[in-house]
Amino acid sequence: MNIVFDLCVSTLTQGLIYGLIAYGVYITYKILDFPDLTVDGSFPLGAAVTAVLLTSGADPFVTIPAAMIAGAVAGLATGIIHVKFNIRDLLSGIIVQTALFSINLKIGGSNLIIPREIDTIFTSGPVMALFGDLGLMYRKLIVALVIAVIIKIILDIYFKTKSGLLLRAVGDNSSLVTTLAKDSGNVKIVGLVIANALVAAAGCLVCHEQRAFSNTMGTGQVVFGLAAVIIGSTIFKRFGFVKGTTAAIVGAVIYKACIMIAITLGLDANLLNLVTAIMFLIILVMGNHNRKGKVKHHA
Amino acid sequence: MKKLLSLALVSVLSLACLTGCSSSTEEAKTNPYKIGISQYGEHASLDNCREGFIQGLKDAGLVEGEDFVIDYQNAGFNDATTTQIAQNFSAQNVDIMCAIATPSATACYAAAEDKDIPVIFTAITDPVEAKLDKGNVTGTSDKLPIAAQLDLIRSLQPDDDTIGIIYTESEPNSVSAIREYKELAPDYGFAIEAIGITQQSQATQAADTLIAKGVDCFSNLTDNNVVGVLASILEKTDEAGIPVYGSEVEQVVLGCVASAGIEYFELGKQTGAMAVKVLKGEAKASEMPYETITEYGIYINNDAAAAFAVEIPADIAEKAIAVNAQ
Repeated sequence: MNIVFDLCVSTLTQGLIYGLIAYGVYITYKILDFPDLTVDGSFPLGAAVTAVLLTSGADPFVTIPAAMIAGAVAGLATGIIHVKFNIRDLLSGIIVQTALFSINLKIGGSNLIIPREIDTIFTSGPVMALFGDLGLMYRKLIVALVIAVIIKIILDIYFKTKSGLLLRAVGDNSSLVTTLAKDSGNVKIVGLVIANALVAAAGCLVCHEQRAFSNTMGTGQVVFGLAAVIIGSTIFKRFGFVKGTTAAIVGAVIYKACIMIAITLGLDANLLNLVTAIMFLIILVMGNHNRKGKVKHHA
Repeated sequence: MKKLLSLALVSVLSLACLTGCSSSTEEAKTNPYKIGISQYGEHASLDNCREGFIQGLKDAGLVEGEDFVIDYQNAGFNDATTTQIAQNFSAQNVDIMCAIATPSATACYAAAEDKDIPVIFTAITDPVEAKLDKGNVTGTSDKLPIAAQLDLIRSLQPDDDTIGIIYTESEPNSVSAIREYKELAPDYGFAIEAIGITQQSQATQAADTLIAKGVDCFSNLTDNNVVGVLASILEKTDEAGIPVYGSEVEQVVLGCVASAGIEYFELGKQTGAMAVKVLKGEAKASEMPYETITEYGIYINNDAAAAFAVEIPADIAEKAIAVNAQ
């Protein structure tokens, strides 16, 4: 039983930490309808900034806003390239992602380890004062949960502000925004800035959790974010009251759970990705099946 | 609140599946040592490390299935997966984690922090730089014998003076090897012409560039991106008449002229022997310094040497192992 409990705790933690990527992708892909490939670069960017700050003795909590600012700049670059220079959405992301590969190498080297003597947010003063009695695993879960929930609440509030509503309008019908005398391009840039700040925050937390930055850690994060958002929205399709942010984070947890199940099954190690893909397919087919049922019911 | 509840509910449900999967596999494993092997990805050198590691355990008299059971996982070169593999090992309370290559080792070390499970690594070039030289962790380094390689090239090509090397900028092992090459090369009268790449697809372009620059020979690292397309690089260098020196026996088999390099199977065996000491309680990983291979082999591909008219001095031919091209 102990094993299962431990696995649940670590999987939930991973899902919540990486879930910040899902929030970001939710904004770009789901709200703005913008396939943003900057993610594979802004994720390690957040980690690189974090690793450098931590190893030079900065307060662990300072690294979160610092990483988010770096990510925001990356998003700004993609936005400007797309909107001001009229470059296609996919290509703008690819350009920035490619540039970030070199920038990340310059910031953090090929990899950077944070020794155990240095405090991360999971071992820092305030966290230890509150939850010092708990094991590191549980502290990681609590901190990840608190951060994921706080960001979710802030995003949900933001989506109800004027700027947030404009953001949602641009994805649905950008000519409506233009008729409101607003520049839909600027709104897109704002969305990309927020999204990549969130992705970089995920990189920051992963760096704290792994005590490591590696230049290759961004590979596949766009795919992860897209899968998480799509899994989440498919599952909650029938539940209109569930917010997109909730669906995204649940999708992220499910993604990580699928991988953990595949690892635990103890199959040929090379089949890991195949097993994970089959599990996604099952979830998505089940989601679509539900929707069909609903349509019939209404007719 | 409802939303939070639904979040919690779905997480619990999705993880409940785990219960069914894991409990069945956990029975009957009471006595034998449980060893989790986390390998970064499938790759000839890394595979040799793993096989050598298991051989090292067997050489110490342990029988697979009776004395030890292995949970082997590879992350398919995905850093996020290495984390989950390591956490899975930690949840299973394995007796020891064996991590092959740096990303797997840092992930295992991070996941083992809470329970203080010993971690044995291999195929890491610079454990000090990777901060894996202290704590409940030890293992073997696959640092290349660069001085020996330069010495070998000097003996085989007495009149030449530039060596071209292609390396990946994001591979820590390659970056530190290049640094050492540049430091040591002047002692042997060589200049290094190094080209850094970021993706495997750039490796052959880099080879073209080095050939155009007129280097006298190539030397290879254990760089994953470069070794992966070595066959096509060799095609180009053969045509240009430039000999290539490898860093391990498999590269010589592929068509490199010679190498002073390590054998990953041997490295794995050495790692396995270290793991046995930790498992039997004879030594603690935290007190064992990491080890490097002191013995390196010189391998020569006589066909390739003949094709480039490279003369093998008698003293080298004597201690070298001849390898035939495929």
